[in-house]
Amino acid sequence: MTALAEASAVLFAEAAALDERRWADWLALFTEDAVYHVPAWRDETTPTSDPEAEISLIYCASRAGLEERVQRITGGRSVASLPPPRTAHAVSNIVVAEDGAGLLVRSVWTSHVYNVKRREQHVFFSRVTHRLVRRESGWRIAHRHALLLNDCLPTLLDVYSL
Amino acid sequence: MNPARIAGLVDDRPAEGVFRVHADAFRSQDVFDLEMRTIFEAGWCFAGLECQVPKAHDFFTTRIGRQPVVVQRGADGRVRAFLNACRHKGAMVCHVQAGNARTHSCAYHGWAYDSTGANVGIKLRRQGAYTPAFDAESHDLRPARCESYRGFLFVSLNHDVPPLVEHLGGMAVFLDLVADQSPEGMELLPGPVTYTFNANWKFQVENTGDVYHFTSTHPSYIDVLAGRKAQGAEAPTTYSRFREQALVRGSFCFAQGHSAMWGSNPTPEARPLFLSLDEVEARVGEMRARWMLAVRNVTIFPNVQFAENASLQMRVIRPLGPGRTEMTGYCLAAKGEPREARLRRIRQYEEFFNPSGLATPDDTTAYEDCQAGMQAGQVDWHQGYMRGMAVVRQGADDYARELGVAPQTSAHGGFEMGDETIFHGPWRHWREVLMRAAAP
Ligand code: FES
Ligand SMILES: [Fe+2]
Repeated sequence: MTALAEASAVLFAEAAALDERRWADWLALFTEDAVYHVPAWRDETTPTSDPEAEISLIYCASRAGLEERVQRITGGRSVASLPPPRTAHAVSNIVVAEDGAGLLVRSVWTSHVYNVKRREQHVFFSRVTHRLVRRESGWRIAHRHALLLNDCLPTLLDVYSL
Repeated sequence: MNPARIAGLVDDRPAEGVFRVHADAFRSQDVFDLEMRTIFEAGWCFAGLECQVPKAHDFFTTRIGRQPVVVQRGADGRVRAFLNACRHKGAMVCHVQAGNARTHSCAYHGWAYDSTGANVGIKLRRQGAYTPAFDAESHDLRPARCESYRGFLFVSLNHDVPPLVEHLGGMAVFLDLVADQSPEGMELLPGPVTYTFNANWKFQVENTGDVYHFTSTHPSYIDVLAGRKAQGAEAPTTYSRFREQALVRGSFCFAQGHSAMWGSNPTPEARPLFLSLDEVEARVGEMRARWMLAVRNVTIFPNVQFAENASLQMRVIRPLGPGRTEMTGYCLAAKGEPREARLRRIRQYEEFFNPSGLATPDDTTAYEDCQAGMQAGQVDWHQGYMRGMAVVRQGADDYARELGVAPQTSAHGGFEMGDETIFHGPWRHWREVLMRAAAP
């Protein structure tokens, strides 16, 4: 398989796990020390870049942070997370660069989120960079950076919106 | 509007132990329009911080009520505010969130204004065949009042408001407790976060002082913190031990609708400030340092809140309609704080305060559920204002006296009392201002 095909398979698997709410499968795509980063914007044109000096919309320094979010989303104890939103993630414009560390994958994500309780829908679009590393079981996500372009958030944002 | 309609929205009978608010105060367009005209566009509103405009000609844009405003430092060092609307046909002359500009020239017909808002150019004026009547008018951008208290900038579109310090009253002490956290002052970290919700702005005002909701609205956040503790996380978070000890929670209502919720801190060592405590204590004294470390959620009525329960958030409220509000959150940080404190501050801020975090979405969703539930016409009178009424007292309690503030009312009790008298002051002020304006 080409690098593009392998990378695409990982990204499509991530999108499908989010849409089908297969949270264990989604988490399993990440390495234990995976960084999950959604920057905020300094101003009209510049996103924040240093998560240790600037504010991010979401910054998880390891998979444990994602596990906490999944627990909150699925635990039934967060009014914001219920009823579960229906989502459709479309992934496109995938470009892959190979280097010694693995694959650096750039893509564009369009996430449609339907809030069933309010009968409202929102679209979030981001430019995403995945750093993929090879493990025995296949490619894993070591770093996911999603630059959300429409950052005036309608009520809330969670990992299923990205 | 008939003043009786406003009077009829707040049922305030202290002698009988009754305080209720009518749902129309949250859902009616005519009430909202009156709020904008009076509270927001004829009183003092928070606009921003002086550190956003450090140099001559620096500016930022904002809105005061519904109206677009530029706040700019002139060549003389003074910070001014003026309406961001060209005198020719009303186009916004300034299109960016912030910047530095000696002049603003309107992109439509080219009129130009300097950094004090004064008109410095009308394109092709000589050839314009204007009448003397035109020449007799001022063509400057309309100025607003702008005053600073310790770097906190407030703007009023009404020039006849009392001085800012008078408006702030005892709240100035709560701004001191923010401003004095570092000898070098405070800074805004890059990355303000803006979000909207489909509910009335006063839900935000109330929620910030609402102790009662915490355990029922945020169990998922409490679970996360408990999970970290169970796994032996070394960094404690503010709420990880809130059930373990008797916590005092109190509230003050001040004149002008301001209010403050405060409480003893179960895990002061979790706070970024804790890492500089020796320096802070030496500079401001033990008592003020203790109040800095305490949980404090304050609202400077009507549109700015400082919430310091995890790290410190400054949040600005912008009402868009009776059922729609825009919020912007800023992370305020002590300049020069240790790296570990800064990291702790940023992560605590993001996970608690962000609309993409683990707590705020549940608050915001609850406001939206309130707004939707208020279509139920048979529950017009809300009963959520009477916890603490049996202990609230007029004037200062011992805690207010210690801090040196003179609130109109004080109340304190245990965490589980979930005081709701903190909402009374804002509503009494709200009713007074609106009734005055509604009077024929
Ligand atoms: S509207 Fe500004 S110059 Fe015409
Ligand atoms: Fe809350």
